[in-house]
Amino acid sequence: MKDERPDRTARAVRSPLPHDAATLHVTGAARYVDDIPVPAGCLHMAFGLSEIARGTITAMDLSAVRSAPGVRDVITAGDLPFANDVSPSAHDEPLLADGEVFYFGQPVFAVVADSHLAARKAVRLARIDYDAQTPILTIDDALAADSRFEEGPRVYAKGDADGAIAAAPRRVEGSMEIGGQEHFYLEGQAALALPQEDGDMVVQCSSQHPTEIQHKVAEALGLPMHAVRAEVRRMGGAFGGKESQGNALAVACAVAAARTGRPCKMRYDRDDDFVITGKRHDFRITYRAGHDDDGRILGLEFVQYCRCGWSQDLSLPVADRAMLHAENAYHLVDVRIESHRLKTHTQSATAFRGFGGPQGMIPMERVIDEIAHALSLDPVEVRRLNYYRAAAQSAEGGAAPATPAAPLPRDISGQKKVHDALPDDIASRGALGEVVEPAAGRVAASGEQTTPYHMPVTDFILHEMTDRLCQSADYTARRAGIEAWNAQSPILKKGLALTPVKFGISFTLTHLNQAGALVHVYQDGSIQMNHGGTEMGQGLFRKVSQVAASRFGLDVDRVRITATDTGKVPNTSATAASSGSDLNGMAVKAACDTIRDRIAAFLAEKDGVDAATVRFEDGAVITGAERYDFAEAVRLAYLGRVSLSATGYYRTPDIVWDRIRGEGRPFFYFAYGAAVTEAVVDTLTGEYRLLRTDILHDAGASLNPAIDIGQIEGGYIQGTGWLTTEELVWDAEGRLRTHAPSTYKIPACSDRPDLFTVTLWDGENFADTIYRSKAVGEPPFMLGISSFLALSDAIAACGPGYPALDAPATPERVLAAIQRVRAA
Amino acid sequence: MYNFDFERPKSVADAVKALQTEEAQPLGGGQTLIPTLKQRLAMPSKLVSLAGIDEIKGVCKDDQNRLCIGGGTVHRVIAEKAMSEGFPGLTGLASKIGDPAVRNRGTIGGSLANNDPSACYPAAAMATGATIVTDRREIAADDYFKGLFETALEEGEIITEVKMPIPEASAYMKFEQPASRFPLVGVFVARFSDRVGVGVTGASESGVFRWTEAERALGSDFSADAVKGLSVPADGMISDLHGTAEYRAHLVGVMTRRAVAAAQ
Repeated sequence: MKDERPDRTARAVRSPLPHDAATLHVTGAARYVDDIPVPAGCLHMAFGLSEIARGTITAMDLSAVRSAPGVRDVITAGDLPFANDVSPSAHDEPLLADGEVFYFGQPVFAVVADSHLAARKAVRLARIDYDAQTPILTIDDALAADSRFEEGPRVYAKGDADGAIAAAPRRVEGSMEIGGQEHFYLEGQAALALPQEDGDMVVQCSSQHPTEIQHKVAEALGLPMHAVRAEVRRMGGAFGGKESQGNALAVACAVAAARTGRPCKMRYDRDDDFVITGKRHDFRITYRAGHDDDGRILGLEFVQYCRCGWSQDLSLPVADRAMLHAENAYHLVDVRIESHRLKTHTQSATAFRGFGGPQGMIPMERVIDEIAHALSLDPVEVRRLNYYRAAAQSAEGGAAPATPAAPLPRDISGQKKVHDALPDDIASRGALGEVVEPAAGRVAASGEQTTPYHMPVTDFILHEMTDRLCQSADYTARRAGIEAWNAQSPILKKGLALTPVKFGISFTLTHLNQAGALVHVYQDGSIQMNHGGTEMGQGLFRKVSQVAASRFGLDVDRVRITATDTGKVPNTSATAASSGSDLNGMAVKAACDTIRDRIAAFLAEKDGVDAATVRFEDGAVITGAERYDFAEAVRLAYLGRVSLSATGYYRTPDIVWDRIRGEGRPFFYFAYGAAVTEAVVDTLTGEYRLLRTDILHDAGASLNPAIDIGQIEGGYIQGTGWLTTEELVWDAEGRLRTHAPSTYKIPACSDRPDLFTVTLWDGENFADTIYRSKAVGEPPFMLGISSFLALSDAIAACGPGYPALDAPATPERVLAAIQRVRAA
Repeated sequence: MYNFDFERPKSVADAVKALQTEEAQPLGGGQTLIPTLKQRLAMPSKLVSLAGIDEIKGVCKDDQNRLCIGGGTVHRVIAEKAMSEGFPGLTGLASKIGDPAVRNRGTIGGSLANNDPSACYPAAAMATGATIVTDRREIAADDYFKGLFETALEEGEIITEVKMPIPEASAYMKFEQPASRFPLVGVFVARFSDRVGVGVTGASESGVFRWTEAERALGSDFSADAVKGLSVPADGMISDLHGTAEYRAHLVGVMTRRAVAAAQ
């Protein structure tokens, strides 16, 4: 039965229903890991941390730790029974330092005690001697030492960038520093391990990737994966910080639980969370662009220097994605992107909303802005001029014709079979092996516009979105108004910027684009739904429950959402890459349809009608001859011995990617958005405020407009925080000095723009996604770039120079930029 | 926290007596000291709470037109009384310290005794030429502040009162570090009939100071323009993760001009 219309049967989707746990959240009744009642005798853990950034441990005296009150066990690397590794990729990340330390804050030993406080007090009693070495901390340090991951820089290229730039009549070039970002999830990292009979282990964790937890715990205990079950009901925020960073706690708890036979729990204190866990990668990106007198970019070259920290973690795919978004929304014919993945003695930078995309994208927007400044053009005009061409058919006109799959032009050399190429962390984005299926790929027909990685762009809607946003935000009139206002305001200067986002949706590790679901219909007509995605506040469970309700023609309250559980749905991918509802929505739909078809076939036979005509709507099943209440239909099906439980499975079609060559179709589709931000800058101090923001964002045909708008608002604010107030500072010893809210500033309610309007684009996804919706988790984060460029625009009103602002644009940096543009 | 004894005397005399124990420490509103104890950065043998001493609480005006503030008076009360006694500049300062919880617990005596380099009151004390009254003597503000967290107070000496000459016009301007909301730089400007005082907090490595060059310029012309060409050297300013010495030096000039403009 094919039914994609948002008609009455699908009324649950498209509804702006609140988050499924909203009431629980605001009443404090929502259970997080630390809220789960623990069995008697539960022990608590804390890590002892390295106090230098690089060196060899020469002596470790833990006698005072062992004899501290309440301490039951102390674990060092030598005590670990099996693998000492919590890496999601290269097996280069020991749970506990083994002789050498690689960053300030690295876990060196673990304490197991009667209480959280006893464990934390005990770790401070350790006496560790080090033979300290000079750490490699900065991008410059790493370049000088040639300290890097992979053998050398990765290069993706199309055409002849160097030649095109040389031949261009005009050029801009420069360099931009882009800071990292702490995730600052409200719920810190936490895990609880519960030993079971016969050596099995159950782990309650705050993780975006329960399968990864299951895998790492099994590895650490020397067990097959079937002996370990990981469960996640919800996280209090994750933002990528719980894709791999929860491994250490879960593994430590499991090892301790196996040693002691007692439940073991661990949660990081906030300062420890800052100091131990990885953050967004900081970058330096240099650019060289050739353009013409109209602002058309003729050739462009980026060199990206990415600070990865001490272990590989997810850095390679993060750096890849930075390359894959280096052109953002602009069609570049001659382009070259070079990426250096630098290894330093700092926290291992990890996934963070956008996964390198934001860092890759912002220099492109800088280039456009700088060209517009050089030519005294409105940046929006330069953007339009360089945009990809519009999709053949507009979104309002319906879906573009499906593009037939065609083989790649040549074999991808060096491809290997799965079991040869992949390390055993195959469910992580950190896995390197790539299975390329040439038959699934397609290449550009001649004349087709392609990305720098040779993927055709066929769904581009930013021309229409820009037009509509300029209109709704009154862009042109306000631009003129701001110019006039600035002319009579010597101290305060306003700025305005519109920036677009084009974000690729899919895991770039192709095989991760799969998902499973398990749906049960009970005799009373109630439904329990489970899938591989995790809930971190983003509303995934609500959206997917709306899908399930729609498939059965029911209201959502008939569908029970349950915790993500590796025992129910195995081999899941991380809830990451914005893919949660795309993948799990489809898997749940498949499971529901299987059950629905069984019920339909049974009732159709009973009533002597064609099964295809049986409808599920308004809480009823209608065969034409009869109308059954859904619960009655289910009861009859049960009595008729029809199975009312089913699994569902989905894999994203039409994607293929060779990350070494930088060729293929890594993304199923693109999500789009644009934001206009107006800011005012105090030219005496560099302080600023956001005055007004208008956003038009493409969530396809939204599954839930309320939740999607919430994601867009939150993404924009978080992106703005990254580029404005959130500054990470390490000292010369490699110690992170910003490790608490007293020193690290995330945006608060009072920092949001005074006027803040978010509108959803009213088109639907050209690609065949769940109810034609689009992923919405990460793309709006990059709308925050409009805040950054609004500040830059305000600074540019102070003098003739180009601001060339670095990120984050702290007041001090803004003031320095004002002084620079005045001096120019 | 380490263990300590606790006393809550009712009079200054009893408090002084209680403080004669070695390593005993007076406790004002506890807004700095309690977190310090929690982090085990201090280990007093005994805490002597001043919160029960009514004689050091309250605000009044004396016959020399000075605002006399009891050392145990909390910021919220100071903010209210300073306004009704004609000292709105002090109201502006006191009403923006920390948050409501801090303002209902923290005291002026505690703040001045602690002399945090980013505290607000020292700027007002310096600018107005306040007198710090203790259980045993009176100390002029110029002689009282001795650097970061250093004051002229002796062991066991208690601030019982602060006498601030009420200026004809005054204002306090601070540039807040956005995460902690402590001033990166704070400037208090006070205009009297015969002089102008400028107190600067948060900026210098040697603690609160009077910007005498600005005082002279403003003495003859109390306008923002009068200090436009002046600047403090970056040398000796605090440089840390929240701002460089150059930025702080720059902000001293800006905050001074703002305070002058606000006071007019």
